Formats: sequence, structure tokens, C-alpha cells
Amino acid sequence: MNPLISAFEMGIQRSEIPPSKVCVVSDIPFEPDVAKGLGVDFFHTIRGRTVAFGTGMKLANPSLKVVPFVGDLMTLGGNHIVHAGRRNMELTVLCVNNFVYRKIALNYAPDVSSAFSPYSLFEEPFNVPHLANSCGALYTARWTALHVEEIADSVAEALNKKGFSVIEVLLPGPNFYTDITDIEAELLQFYYRNSEVKDGEKPKNVGILPDRKIVVGKFTDKERPTFIDVYNTQLPKQLGDKFTPYGA
Amino acid sequence: MKADSKNVKTGVYCVDGDVASGYGALAAGCRFIAGYPITPSTEAAEAFAQIAPSAGALFIQMEDELASIAAVVGASWAGVKTMTITSGPGYSLMMETIGFGAMVEAPFVLLNIQRAGPSTGVPTKTGQADMMQCRWGSAGDYEIIAISPDSPQEMFDYTIKAFNLSEIYRCPVMIMSDECVGHMTEKVVVPAANEIDLEPRRFYQGPADGYIPFKPDKDLVPKMAKAGDGMRLYVTSQLHDENGYPVNGSNYKRAFTRRLVDKIRLNKHRIIELREEETDDAEVVVISYGITSRVSARGIEKAREKGIKVGSLRLVTVFPFPDERIAALAEKVKAFVVPEINYGQIAYDVERCSAGKANVVVIPHGGSGVHQPKDILDAIEYAAGEDEKIKGIIEQKTLLERKVFQEGYVVRE
Repeated sequence: MNPLISAFEMGIQRSEIPPSKVCVVSDIPFEPDVAKGLGVDFFHTIRGRTVAFGTGMKLANPSLKVVPFVGDLMTLGGNHIVHAGRRNMELTVLCVNNFVYRKIALNYAPDVSSAFSPYSLFEEPFNVPHLANSCGALYTARWTALHVEEIADSVAEALNKKGFSVIEVLLPGPNFYTDITDIEAELLQFYYRNSEVKDGEKPKNVGILPDRKIVVGKFTDKERPTFIDVYNTQLPKQLGDKFTPYGA
Repeated sequence: MKADSKNVKTGVYCVDGDVASGYGALAAGCRFIAGYPITPSTEAAEAFAQIAPSAGALFIQMEDELASIAAVVGASWAGVKTMTITSGPGYSLMMETIGFGAMVEAPFVLLNIQRAGPSTGVPTKTGQADMMQCRWGSAGDYEIIAISPDSPQEMFDYTIKAFNLSEIYRCPVMIMSDECVGHMTEKVVVPAANEIDLEPRRFYQGPADGYIPFKPDKDLVPKMAKAGDGMRLYVTSQLHDENGYPVNGSNYKRAFTRRLVDKIRLNKHRIIELREEETDDAEVVVISYGITSRVSARGIEKAREKGIKVGSLRLVTVFPFPDERIAALAEKVKAFVVPEINYGQIAYDVERCSAGKANVVVIPHGGSGVHQPKDILDAIEYAAGEDEKIKGIIEQKTLLERKVFQEGYVVRE
């Protein structure tokens, strides 16, 4: 089993949220067995639209715990994460950073780092926790996929967080739900060995750079009213008794 | 099922077509609209945003049209009736996700108040040039339903009908209106809630382990479930089998895509709505939809005054296309006249159905305005006087279009 899926499953258990209330929204299809095994509802949408799709689900039924479990977050989905953060939409994003696009090995994603690429890639990578934090995410963390216990704790915390949460997970290889290959396992060990845990580190300092250790940890955990909270407190000021609280 | 009185603003109004559509959406039980402002559709979103909070519904302005339509498909699978509102450029952005909505059989409604294109075009003026995009715009084979209202009252009525159709057939239903109808202000009667018939979502009733999410019912439409009900739903944009699991085989492809198109094609006699006038003994039939049906009326009247037997066929539902009816008419009429505010879209479908039996005269119009009654009259007179069968589409240019040619495609004021 892929360590990330194990960690995610443990995280749901630790959160004490019934898996039937958890909706995983992905941009790649999980193996049906994996999705069924998790006991969640699984939606494989289209490239980049996971956070927007999840926003619709969450607003249509606020009792759902919606988890965009994604790879294309910072490219096609870039604008959606910016605005989900600004609105403080109650979503738990698992941003799987594998440094390549799924199935199209060697096509690099904008959060790629030159240290992990067969050829020197010259573009600056995104600092995902910093970007998410700047957009208004309440909870940001980064782990390598081998930090199973830590990911599980982060998932549990984020699922119970009233607000937008982004957990970046570094996981090599094109698949983020299937068994991993020996080469991927070796690369994963490399990430793990070259990481250092710095909980509470300022997100602006955690960029992944070739000459530095990968900073992992839980970086931010803040409080701010969610979109639905603000909607339900602001509108009655103008509408008074006419207002029907949303999602109550 | 009848409408819920908290959603219905019963009364007589003097509002534009956009606003009427916003009222219609709430009356239809729409709980969620995600949209991004774009002229000339904005008033529909504004109307819904104003009345939704009192009825426990929600409007959200998303970051763009890509997000709006994705949120709508998500909301649909979360179990609510939902819609998005847009126009030309926004509509183009939505295309990929419309195909996704069709693939995962999410019921939703899309209101397109068409404006003059291409590209940004003329944002404040009318057009009907998105008709083929609504039919074919997303990748792959799928079917949608398209309705073209021609008055604010119809914008109210057919928004409700659009929701009903989307729930019955689990497909995107497009209200292909245009700027003229959207911005036309007329009397709109909103009836009492108990006079409005609604189709509830057809949810699967039974134990979770017996649910096969994409197993077709008798009408080829599977029963739906919603997220969060413990069904362990597996929904994918990839080709899937009855269980919803991704598959690749060409047998699956045939079975699935065939059903996706046949659930509309084989039920089209239940879906199609046409308005016919004096077609029984007509020698020329004017085929119109949306605003062109309003502007044709005067031209038809004038032609009748001149003794020409003119009938009128209005496509209230444009897609699925009424092939059989037009083929039957082609057997007995001399010609069809098709005025449309584009350079020929629906006219090609009319020509296909006519199959050489009746002439097809298109009156193209570039948009930013509507045909003059004289344009319609001229085309009817020509069609009635042309005794030869002419292959293909015959273009009958409007007075202003003729001027464009004479002046070498340059406007000389």
C-alpha cells in the first residue's frame, strides 16, 4: 500500500469523522478498490477543477468534509486555490507534489525543483505552504510521504479545522495512490533523509531549494470565520428576519 | 410535486427576461447558483442573489466561469438543484466542464444570454451564434437539451421546465436565450406555488450495497444518489461501467456512449416542444427560435397580406432537433425560411432534414441587432417565387448585408 493512502486512512480515523461524510475530489482516478477501501465518496473530476468542484459540494451540503486530493493544484487549479483561501472555504486540500505531471514523466510542474529532475530545470518552484498561507489558508503543513504518522495527524487536524487547509505531501512517481516502485521508494527515502522537521516555521522560509534540506512540519494553524460563517453573520444585518441561515 | 411557496414570488411583475429567469430558478427549487458576472446575463444572477437568502438558497460569485461550472457540477452531485449563468466568452470557458457534467450525468441548468461574438464581440448587443457550440462544444459524444425562450414570461416558465428536464434526463439543459429577450421588459405572471409542477430528483431508494450508480432504468436514465449518504460513490470523468469504475474496452465505450446519447435521442418525442402556425397548407414555412420568432411575426403577417401562404414553426426546444417534423413538412412545402442572428447554424440542420425536398433559405445576420420585417418578407417572397429546387443553402442577404458587399466590407457612414 502507498504510504500516503495509509496515512490518509489513519487521518480519517483519528479525526473521528465518519468516512461516509468524507468526499475525496481528485483530478486522477484512484483504483476503485482504494477508494472503496477508504469508505469515502470518491469523485474523479477534471484537471485543475478539484477545488472549485469541492467548493460547490461543500456549499451545497455543508455537512460534508470535502478533500481535494490533487496534483494539478498550482497549475490549472492555481486561481481556484487563491480564491478558496481568500473565502476561507472549508476544504482540506492534500496537495501531492510529485514534481512531475502524472503519467507524463519529465513534463515538469511549476512546483518542480531542479534537484529532483533528470535535467536541470530552470524555473523557480512554487513554495506551496507560503502561497497557500498568503492566500488565506488557516492550516498549512508539508510532509514527505514517509512521515506517515505526521500526515495522519495533520489530516485529522485539518479535517476538523473550520477553514481552508493545505497539506503538501512530497511523493515521487507518477501515481499517488498505487504501490510505489523500487526507484520511487529510493527517491522517497532520499526526500525523507534530506528533510528536517521545523514546526511553526514561517511559510516564507520553507521554499524547496537544491542546496538546502527540505523543511517539513506544521507551519500555520490560525482561526478565521469561514465563508458560510461570514455569510450567516453579515446578511442578517441587512435582511433581518427575512434571512434564512444557510446550511443550518 | 408542487413548488415550495417560500421559493415562489407569486405576483404580476414588469421585469426583463434575465430577472424572470432568476425568479424561475428559485421557483424551480434551485438551491445554488455559482456564476461570474458577464453582460448581458448579469441581471439574472443579480435577481437570484437578491431573493435567494430569504429562501435558504445561495448565490456565489466564483473567480471565473471555469470555477462556476465546476462548482455547479459539484453541487449537483452533493444533491441540490443548481444552475450557472453566462454569455459568449464565459460560455466558451465552460465547455470542458459541460462535457464532464454530461459524462457523470449531473443534472444542471445553464443559462446563456447570447451576445454578439466572436470573442468579446459586442457585449451589450444580441446574437444567436452559440447554437452549434451548445450542441457540439465539448469534446466527445454527448447530448444536451437546449431551449430557446422568446419572452420574459417564457424565461420564467422555461427556466422551470429546464430544471424539470435536467432532473428527468440527468443531462445539462441549456437555456439558449439572447440579449434581446434577456433585456426585454414585459409583463411576467408568477403563479401560485401550487400551480407550478416540479420534477424532484430521482434518488435511488434501497440499501447502499444494492446501489449500482450507472445502471440504466427503463428510460435509460440511472437513478441518482448524493455524496455523504454512505453509498461509497465512485464517480469519474473517465469512461466507466455500471458501477462507475473506469474501464477502457471498446465494448464498454459503445455501451456507455450509446446510452448517453440514446437517453435523449430515444426520448426526444417527450422532450421536443414546437409552436406551429398555419403550416397545414403553407407553401413557405419560417423556422425560427428565440428573438427571431418575435421579429419574424411582422414579416409573416405582411407576406400573408400579399396572399402568400406562410406558416411558422418555432423551435421552443432547439435540441434535440425535430428532424422528423421538419422532414415531414419538407414533403409538402416549397421552401423553409430560416432567419437567425448568425451566419447559418440551425439552417444547416434544416437543410439536412429537408434532404433536397424543399429549398432552404437562410437570412443570416451578424448580430448587434435583429432582422427587419422587410428582410423576412423579401426572403419569403423569394422562397415562394422560386420554382426550381436548389441544392444546398440559399443565402438571402438582409438589406444591410447587401450594403456591406456593395461597399467592399468597409463601413462608410
